[in-house]
Amino acid sequence: MKTSKYLPLLILVLAPTYGFAQREPAASPKDYPTRELTIEPGIGIHTNFGTDLLLAGLIQWNPYKRLSLASHTSFNINNLLQRDFNYIKTDYNYSFNQKFGAGTTFYSRKSTHTLLLMIGAKYTAFKETVYNPAVDKVSASISALSPDYGLMYSHKRGLKKYFFTGRLYVPLYPWPVKGSDINFVDGNINNIALEVGVGMKVK
Amino acid sequence: MKRQKLTTLTLGALVGALVLFLASCSEEEFNPSLTREFSIQSTFNGATYKIKVGLPLDYNSSGIKHSSIYVLDGEENFDFVANHCEEISDRYSVTNVVVVGIGYGNDRELDYTPTKISPTTGGGGDFLRFLENELVPRIEQEFSVDTTRNSRAILGHSYGGLFVACALAVNNQLFGNYILLSPSIWFDNEVSLLLEKEYRERNRDKPQLVFLGIGQSENLGRMQAPFEAFYQTLRDNYSSISLSKNREDDLDHMGSKNPNIIKGLTYYFKNR
Repeated sequence: MKTSKYLPLLILVLAPTYGFAQREPAASPKDYPTRELTIEPGIGIHTNFGTDLLLAGLIQWNPYKRLSLASHTSFNINNLLQRDFNYIKTDYNYSFNQKFGAGTTFYSRKSTHTLLLMIGAKYTAFKETVYNPAVDKVSASISALSPDYGLMYSHKRGLKKYFFTGRLYVPLYPWPVKGSDINFVDGNINNIALEVGVGMKVK
Repeated sequence: MKRQKLTTLTLGALVGALVLFLASCSEEEFNPSLTREFSIQSTFNGATYKIKVGLPLDYNSSGIKHSSIYVLDGEENFDFVANHCEEISDRYSVTNVVVVGIGYGNDRELDYTPTKISPTTGGGGDFLRFLENELVPRIEQEFSVDTTRNSRAILGHSYGGLFVACALAVNNQLFGNYILLSPSIWFDNEVSLLLEKEYRERNRDKPQLVFLGIGQSENLGRMQAPFEAFYQTLRDNYSSISLSKNREDDLDHMGSKNPNIIKGLTYYFKNR
């Protein structure tokens, strides 16, 4: 894969964040939708053709106006739509991510934009079986624990107790830790997470 | 206002730095003074293939007949394979090989698949005949390479890996060494497993070296089990095989390719 293939994708991913930060004029302090503690359940997909279903939750605590701390949990049912293909059955395929992060929040009149650096772990388990009657039945199972870190953008819209929330998470592992080879970005792009949900202001 | 400007500048700098970093991740070209290029038209499928040949450093001085590695998807993989052959052979103090990168003449999906399940698949038979009757003879005529089966290796990734699996099954006298990376064994209801079974009696006692590599994160419900099935069938049925497999931690289909090329070449140089 050539670098040029990924540049437009990268720009596409980062541009909204960049745009949000510039678009809205600064609001007066009384208009800020300030929240100290929020719980934000949501559902989402990965960008690997949208075949993974994510059940996720973010807890965000802003002890100061510009300091955000967060915990993000996600249970992913992977490859949900294609569990039987060419005599290959998916017995199970899921992953569990837990990350903690810190970052900052930008405020506008009706919404907030939080950028977070997240660090945690990911557990993946899946099993496939070839059951083609013309050959021996063979299974392969994978169970792996790996680091998970990356950048999260969290958007909250609304001024009341309940509000709309949307998140974008761009994983940075395994690239560039495994090497700077552009091919490594393959897995990262597949695992970009897009989530939407309803948040609740606790405090 | 000042703060907004600062935010804009910071984000702009971050995006710029990332773009520059990505742009700098280009692959290192193999030594041009050791690279020969030519084009060859196949009489079997009419396509013209651009061939790159990477020579060992001691090619002209040693006078020996070198082994050869034929690399599928040559336009993407030639430089990486040729550079690492030089590095690995040097590290283990073994004779380097002649690397033959096979560029695209047709769509790779057509050339590397054995059966026709769509208009763009099923040209693998013609491509294999092109290798056997046109490309390999020309390489062995024009370059100082060994002409025995055991001196020839073939390396392929994805559909290329599928082609290598089929070459092992249906034309086992052409190559003695096979490096299969994330092979698409799932193709056409695992037709490559059926071909292996069909030709097994003819091939099972011949000496062969086979390396199988895959990414641990290839979890789209089609890669891992067929990969394991192919590995187990070779392990259980072939008496004179030198066989190894590797699952590259946390890497996907493309990300695992280059690490598996390095491991496959290392296994090849240490065990051929």
